[in-house]
Amino acid sequence: MTRFLIRRLLGAIPLLLGVAVLSFVFMQLAPGGPDALFARNARMSEEQLQAIRHNMGLDRPVPEQLVTWLGNILQGDLGISYTQYRPVSEAIWDVVPNTLLLMGTGMVLSLIAALLFGVLAARRQNGVFDLVASFVSYFGLAMPVFWFGLMLQLLFAVRLGWLPSAGMSSAGGGGFWDVARHLVLPAFTIAIGSIAGWSRYVRSSTIESLNQDYVRTARAKGMDEQRVLVGHVLRNALIPLVTVVGIDVPLYLTGAVLTETVFSWPGMGRLFFDALTVRDYPILMGILLLGAVLIVLGNLIADVLYGVLDPRISY
Amino acid sequence: MIDLTPRPERHGDGAPKLDSVNDLIQARIDGVISRRRLIRRAAELAIAAPVVGVMLHATSDKAFGAPSQGRPQALRRLAQEAGTVPADGPTAPEGEPQAGGTLTIGSNAEPDTLHPYVSQTVTAADVYVGIVENMVAYDSTQQLVPRLATAFEISDDGLIYTFDLREDVKFHNGDSFSGDDVIAVWKIIMDPDFGAFNTNGWDKVDDITLDGNQLVITTSEIYAPFMSYVGVERIAPKSAIEAGIDPFKQEYGRAPIGTGPFQFVEWKAKEQIVVEKFADYWGEAANLDQIIYRIVPDDNTQLVQLRTGEVQMVGSAGALSAIRVDEALGIEGITILEHATKDWYHVDLKHWDHLRMTKVRQALDFATPSQDIIDRLLKGRALVSVADQAPGSWAFNPDIAPRPYDVEQAKALLAEAGLTAGTEGVLEGPVPTDDPNVADGDVKPLEIELWFVAGDTQSEQVCQIVAQSWNSVGVKTSVLSQDISTIWGPEGYQFTEKMTGCFYSWSNGNDPTCKFYWHSEDIPDSPTGSGGNLPAYFHHYNFQEAIDELTIAADATTVQEDRGAVLFQIQELLHEEVPVIFIYWGKAFPAVADNVGGFWPSAFNYLLWNANEWYLT
Repeated sequence: MTRFLIRRLLGAIPLLLGVAVLSFVFMQLAPGGPDALFARNARMSEEQLQAIRHNMGLDRPVPEQLVTWLGNILQGDLGISYTQYRPVSEAIWDVVPNTLLLMGTGMVLSLIAALLFGVLAARRQNGVFDLVASFVSYFGLAMPVFWFGLMLQLLFAVRLGWLPSAGMSSAGGGGFWDVARHLVLPAFTIAIGSIAGWSRYVRSSTIESLNQDYVRTARAKGMDEQRVLVGHVLRNALIPLVTVVGIDVPLYLTGAVLTETVFSWPGMGRLFFDALTVRDYPILMGILLLGAVLIVLGNLIADVLYGVLDPRISY
Repeated sequence: MIDLTPRPERHGDGAPKLDSVNDLIQARIDGVISRRRLIRRAAELAIAAPVVGVMLHATSDKAFGAPSQGRPQALRRLAQEAGTVPADGPTAPEGEPQAGGTLTIGSNAEPDTLHPYVSQTVTAADVYVGIVENMVAYDSTQQLVPRLATAFEISDDGLIYTFDLREDVKFHNGDSFSGDDVIAVWKIIMDPDFGAFNTNGWDKVDDITLDGNQLVITTSEIYAPFMSYVGVERIAPKSAIEAGIDPFKQEYGRAPIGTGPFQFVEWKAKEQIVVEKFADYWGEAANLDQIIYRIVPDDNTQLVQLRTGEVQMVGSAGALSAIRVDEALGIEGITILEHATKDWYHVDLKHWDHLRMTKVRQALDFATPSQDIIDRLLKGRALVSVADQAPGSWAFNPDIAPRPYDVEQAKALLAEAGLTAGTEGVLEGPVPTDDPNVADGDVKPLEIELWFVAGDTQSEQVCQIVAQSWNSVGVKTSVLSQDISTIWGPEGYQFTEKMTGCFYSWSNGNDPTCKFYWHSEDIPDSPTGSGGNLPAYFHHYNFQEAIDELTIAADATTVQEDRGAVLFQIQELLHEEVPVIFIYWGKAFPAVADNVGGFWPSAFNYLLWNANEWYLT
């Protein structure tokens, strides 16, 4: 196991390096540039523009910029933001915990709901609950985030007044419960799509497990239904779910942009989007790199969990 | 300004007078007419449907039985017909001003940095103007008012500026303010290693000397916009500036220090900026204890938060756009203000092929339904424009009439320019070679690409309307878009060898200088160069010499009357030659809760400019 982990982590290094180089190249290929808005800004002289380009390092050849950037990254230096005039690591670190909180809560919420709906639907296949759950799932999958989020705000914040409409804490600041109250609507919004998708996976794999010989054997032994479901069926049904969840980590990262915007959540998705419109390369590349790290980690955790769930899988 | 419009005289007997919105409301409140009669009579009087909606709301049984805040509110809006209230003075709600309190402001965008010398965004200025002060400031009537300087004087030759500086002024960090701080600001802004965003005005400074509390600035040439740059420059403390270029740039921008009525408390990225009352302020201390500037990126969420009261004000960079006003008018307890801006929306026309000919550009102006765009698309929430100076400014020339929308005149002018219908009805004709007004080159079709910045629905709609109209006179027009960094980058439409136009706005400064837009020196020398005169990138304007002389002359006098005369001429020339098609001046729509007093937004200053005068009731 330890050897497997070390091997996988070492294997991730060239992968991340590849991501770094590719994101740099794609950035350069994108039309426009970080200096475009400066050049079109009223009353900027040629000398000022040159000085700004020099400060950004844009006056040097592209390969040289790439080498410098990679060298700095290896030393843990992500550079200085073109627009915020502060270290990229600082700008990213300000918002990463917020995004992880939102993502984590959303994923836990999805997992619980998907397991509950999936198993219940599978137990009475084509029953009323199954049909309702299928309908709700497709509805959840088809729902645009910005619309759904707005509806939640109008219902829970405006009409009922139970929850704050947006933000991560009240304007005056607040403690744990304040953040928790602010978390409810965005976490539910970010979760809704995957609840729908994941519960479909749980349903089909549960149905498959239910028809296996070992389930019949367990029941024949006289084991009560509760233990059959949890100990035998669910455990096996979880394996495909783990794969899907691992793959969906980047979906959560990208989905965060919309949810964060609708709910004014101070997260990484918004930092990325804002940086994109002004071509703040250092921030963009820093986030892409961090995104790649998260995806590699997500899949690694999924692989480790296979072994935990299914003793036949060993590394 | 919060007062209700006086109710019309009531008629004691006979049939009620039902000739206006106010008559109808009064009659309904008096119970003289039914709801149905009100609707019918409103239809006869051709009162717009949204107004009728507000009338019904204002006179609804709920409002009638238990007068809610919404009723006087709605009535007041009706008095203003458009539903918005002109911001012609500070808001003055009923009720006693409270001491202290917290105000929460919402904004779509987050400041890039709060550093006055490197920030590029209006959002940043909206916040830092409450923290870092200037020697003089513009009030909401475009007048310079004293701040850190009690008075200033310009020498007769227009080269020496003398400021009397205030004494006993403290920075938030405890430092005392003096002329040395201004000198340090000058030095850091002009330091090429620092890379200030704007060096205008400061680059004309030869020397600054200090004589007691008198600051004497000697300049190298007469530069009329000087006060609008140097006079209103924000003054950071010398100690922060001398901490070194990198620390000053990075740390000061995240936690600015000034002499303003509010001091910086915290900035949570993408979430909020908090400022609090500065007890040792030299002037009248702030009424409010705290102002919280919340970042609410989504427009819909912003309206939801105004509704729930989580946000009590939006304005300046965060103000509502014209197409959102109707939705916002329905929110109880919120007043939508309205003021002019210095943003002129236009279609620029690259001087290429047929577009080099004055007649073709004039024809396109005739074929652009500007008034229709304002009336229908923007619901009248804009002002028609004829040139580059804002109505209401002393530099505005009121004698120029906009070209009417006249398709026949457009066609006639295009025919005079030698264009005839070719394949599929698209006009074609020879293009000019040397002389821009003589069509003696190859025969080409008149095809124009019309661009806008992707994601801006309002611009897209304007472009569609313009394109449809141009197509109808035989000018083949296609509408295209790119994101903001691409469109203004070296691959943008300005640098392609085609006929192009683009719909966007320029924003004037408080000084009416306009050299940046038209002068030949401001034509970029390459696609990555700087300068605002983009339509003339390939070919100079056919009136280039004239406009060069006039724009220089306008900046070379500090006497307002003389300058005004030159600026009037510039506007006449622009209207005649149509280098760009002037469409409209935007209006801004700040929104504020009904219990906020002292709020007075305008085109001439940023959001927190008079925040020390704000109060809650």
